[in-house]
Amino acid sequence: MHDNNSSDSYPRNSSDQAHTAFDSSVARFRAQHPEDTFEGASGVLFEQAMAQTRMAICLCDPHVKDMPIVFANRAFRHLTGYDESEIVGRNCRFLQGPESNHEALTRIRTALSNEDVTVVELLNYRKDGTAFWNALHLGPVYDADGKLVYFFGSQWDVSDVRAARADERHARELARELSHRMKNMFAVIGGIVNFTGRVRGIEVEAREINDRIQALGRAYETTLDDSHRGTVEVGQAIRAVLAPYDPDGTRILFEGNGLRSDFASVSVLGLSLHELAVSAIKHGALSQEDGTITVSWKKNGSASEPAIRIDWIEHGRGLDGLQSSLRTKPGPGDGIVDRMLDMARGGIVREWTQEGLRAKLNIPLRENVE
Amino acid sequence: MSGMVNPASEPRRVLVLDDEPLILLDLEFAVEDAGCKPLTALDLVEALQIVQNNAISAAILDVSLGQGQTCEQVARTLAAMGVPYVLHTGDLDRMDEAVRNLGGTLVPKPTPASVVVARALEPLAERQA
Repeated sequence: MHDNNSSDSYPRNSSDQAHTAFDSSVARFRAQHPEDTFEGASGVLFEQAMAQTRMAICLCDPHVKDMPIVFANRAFRHLTGYDESEIVGRNCRFLQGPESNHEALTRIRTALSNEDVTVVELLNYRKDGTAFWNALHLGPVYDADGKLVYFFGSQWDVSDVRAARADERHARELARELSHRMKNMFAVIGGIVNFTGRVRGIEVEAREINDRIQALGRAYETTLDDSHRGTVEVGQAIRAVLAPYDPDGTRILFEGNGLRSDFASVSVLGLSLHELAVSAIKHGALSQEDGTITVSWKKNGSASEPAIRIDWIEHGRGLDGLQSSLRTKPGPGDGIVDRMLDMARGGIVREWTQEGLRAKLNIPLRENVE
Repeated sequence: MSGMVNPASEPRRVLVLDDEPLILLDLEFAVEDAGCKPLTALDLVEALQIVQNNAISAAILDVSLGQGQTCEQVARTLAAMGVPYVLHTGDLDRMDEAVRNLGGTLVPKPTPASVVVARALEPLAERQA
């Protein structure tokens, strides 16, 4: 009984299997197993479901030696490339090949002997020798009296899913390697700046340069850990930049959401916050024993010109006259912050209150690079 | 850092292991700044020789030494001798489980050399105190 009708010859992986013609294998199975078929409406539904589903399905008879396949629908024949006559009467293992996984086969055998329902992913082979990853869902079929009559197997080609999973894993490993190399690179650059400063007798300047480079490195660290996104979570970068200035995590309080922006904005922000922190250590809230700083970030600006707004609020003791007059003059770090933010088409507004500096930073948000 | 110098004897010897010469150079300066004597190693063989032939007080170990090598053997040797060490690494996540379980202090890369050295010398100051 060679099933060679025209409906079987359309190409494999056709996405439009829903409207294919009547699957004659269903009728043949019903004719040969009259005791197992549904009556009336159920029978029609069974027939249509078996014929139209793109899920490959087969039934095996556990009461016959070597548990042969007694029924395989059209999707099964398309998936495997075999004709019905080559399938019915054989045990499912004809789909296995040299690379089939023994552990998967053991799990199948165990499920069969326990009459369990299980899903096993295994490598199978088509008639033409090409391999595919088969997500095999198998389980027992009982009759009305609870007696085991068949095992069903439904097969789904998950080769693409597995390839996507492997790609994702590969991308993650690559990002991690990149992150590792970048950290090493920043460590090496730091080394060069430090010993150059020492040899030239300009250790203080070298340290200032190096502190900026390392702040930049920390801002970038977070970007590399999820480099596939193309944008950076602003809050993560802020935390990373400021972490060394608050080793116990008690002096700087963070408030913000999962706002994301592109790398370029984040590097300027990172360096600006580094300068503010350095100055807070010298003569701001971090120079006082119990001083704290709140750093918050949010999306600001209009819909057409979105911006990141950062509030840097120092909570220290009130500044007396002399200190506050000193602080209203811009320090060297202040000039750099102003110029960097200007260059990024942003800006900063500083205000000194009884508790210390309150600074509002603005920088254009660029989030649509993905 | 002057408290780190033991006035009664020679300066303390600190082993510094890193396969990157430029980082090694920076750490060497920083160890000198701390009043100690740096002994530098670029690979496992050099490091093991230094440990065998010198009385080491503390060590700074780069975890991944290239070509699949790690500092594990040096760390084990030092641990057996009771010498404190810090693990200086750019990839804490991927760090070998065996190395992590040795129990050295972890210092992520990049950290300023002076801070790395200070962390390495901390246990000595605690012992003196």
